[in-house]
Amino acid sequence: MSGAADTETPVLEVRGLGRRFGGLHAVADLSFSVPPGQVVGVIGPNGAGKSTFVNLVTGHLKPTSGQVLLEGQDITGEPPWKVARARVARTFQIVKPLRGMTVRENVAVGLLYGPDASRHSGAALRLADEVLERVGLVALGDVTPGELTVADARRLELAKALALRPKLLLLDEVMAGLRPGEIEPSLELIRSLSADGMTVLVIEHVMRAIVAVSDRVLVLHQGRLLTDGPPREVLADPRVIEAYLGHRYGRTHGADTDREQPRD
Amino acid sequence: MTSVLASSRRAWLPWAVGVLVLAAGFGLQTQLYTDQERVVTAVLMYVVLAQSWNLIGGYTGYASFGQVAFFGLGGYVTGVLMWQLRLPFWWALAASGLLAAGFGALIGLPLLRLKGHYFAIAALGVAEGTREVITNLTSVTGGGGGLTVPTFGADAPTAYLGNDGFYVFFLLLAAFAVLTVTLVARSRFGFGLRAINQDEDAAAAMGVPTTRVKVAAFSLSGLLAGLAGSGYAFQAVNIYPGPMFDVQITVLMVVMVVIGGSGTVLGPVLGAVGLQLLSEWLRANYTTYHTFILGTIIVIAVVLFPGGLVTYVRGGLRTGQWSLLTSIRRYRL
Repeated sequence: MSGAADTETPVLEVRGLGRRFGGLHAVADLSFSVPPGQVVGVIGPNGAGKSTFVNLVTGHLKPTSGQVLLEGQDITGEPPWKVARARVARTFQIVKPLRGMTVRENVAVGLLYGPDASRHSGAALRLADEVLERVGLVALGDVTPGELTVADARRLELAKALALRPKLLLLDEVMAGLRPGEIEPSLELIRSLSADGMTVLVIEHVMRAIVAVSDRVLVLHQGRLLTDGPPREVLADPRVIEAYLGHRYGRTHGADTDREQPRD
Repeated sequence: MTSVLASSRRAWLPWAVGVLVLAAGFGLQTQLYTDQERVVTAVLMYVVLAQSWNLIGGYTGYASFGQVAFFGLGGYVTGVLMWQLRLPFWWALAASGLLAAGFGALIGLPLLRLKGHYFAIAALGVAEGTREVITNLTSVTGGGGGLTVPTFGADAPTAYLGNDGFYVFFLLLAAFAVLTVTLVARSRFGFGLRAINQDEDAAAAMGVPTTRVKVAAFSLSGLLAGLAGSGYAFQAVNIYPGPMFDVQITVLMVVMVVIGGSGTVLGPVLGAVGLQLLSEWLRANYTTYHTFILGTIIVIAVVLFPGGLVTYVRGGLRTGQWSLLTSIRRYRL
């Protein structure tokens, strides 16, 4: 997977990316690149710097060192709205629905202000239904986000991102807290987005999801890149099992049992 | 899909209602005594001020407790231009609106970086500071002794409009304010404001240039309040820093919007009309306790209709739930 794709301009490349909070290196010296169309899983224990990494790419945080390149263009330190208009979309780990607006209006914001900015709210509202169709929320267009189930709220988060028609999509734990039956449609959606040529970074705790959908997995540990490779190999790596799952899980369970166990 | 189409089919309805209300405003004028005409003129001015606060506090979610700064600034720009430079009122009006809008953009840039209480307090500080500056610029503004707008005789750049004239002026200004907010609410800009109100990070992640959009909203709200202040100064003739920058004017704007329904077109109109008329009625009938009773009614209204009257009715129509308790649970923090 790695060697062959290097000739193409990577969709995303980070060089020596780092972010300090006081004395804490939340992300340190992170370098890698992602070729077009790839689905990359990003995993790591809590506090490994996964969400910080997403925020550094999207401009919600400014890096203290290093560069972020989008298709070879330096977007380091650009404000989030400019990054969004460059077709980098994201979801938030803690979903951020616009509560005072209907589901359809939520998506319309991205259509009105995103890279394909339509000027008229009426047209945007009609287009929003196409996006909602894709994530399976079209029937709930008139509902406010407060009335959605957890799974539907995650779908809305995804729909808001897709409204930008992104070339790079960063999914920050969109499957956390979902039941196995609810995960499968999300995986299907990621596969179909990838088939359309979208590059997707899946930041996730749910191991089975990562294995099922990723071409490649990066493991972050204490802000640094621990390993990078095909999913099965990476998950079999003893260092990963220890860093990510800790000794307790590493000894008694396989990697597949973490967090995806149905909760009673 | 159906609801989108249905709503566009009935899109002419609010416009028709608006035109009817405006016509009714003109009709009403012929039926009023002089005192009543003055009361309604004040109501109309508060419709403008409430809509001004609604843009920044209601739609954008930045509770400005210094909104009177724009009102006072507009009033003083008009007063000074007519008094010192003998400019006609209509020029002074335009200058007041533009300067208040510019002032909004200028202070918005630093102030709108603050959130919640911090913004509210900083805005309050700006209003107090502006009043102090006006008070101390004695040679230009007349200072604490106030200034008198020339309105009578050959000396006056623009003849006094009189009760009838100011009624029409504020009726048209109120119509302009409501029209502005209506257009904003339906536009791309309005979607940006509502998104910022709910979650700025989420809004930015969807491409909303949050700073630019917030500053534009603050500036537009400054324009409306500045125009109202301009008309008020001309009407009042004698203006002083204290009354022109009275914090109570800000408080009234906030209360009117919150009771009527913040972030709606109709709410601030109903809030301004309801509160001003109620206040006048109480003043006439319960002179001693009028403020106390009004305060109590405001508290009860805020408790029972936390999202405002318009939001309560809308929620009721949508869900069929009219219980006040449900409404309180739905909208209270």
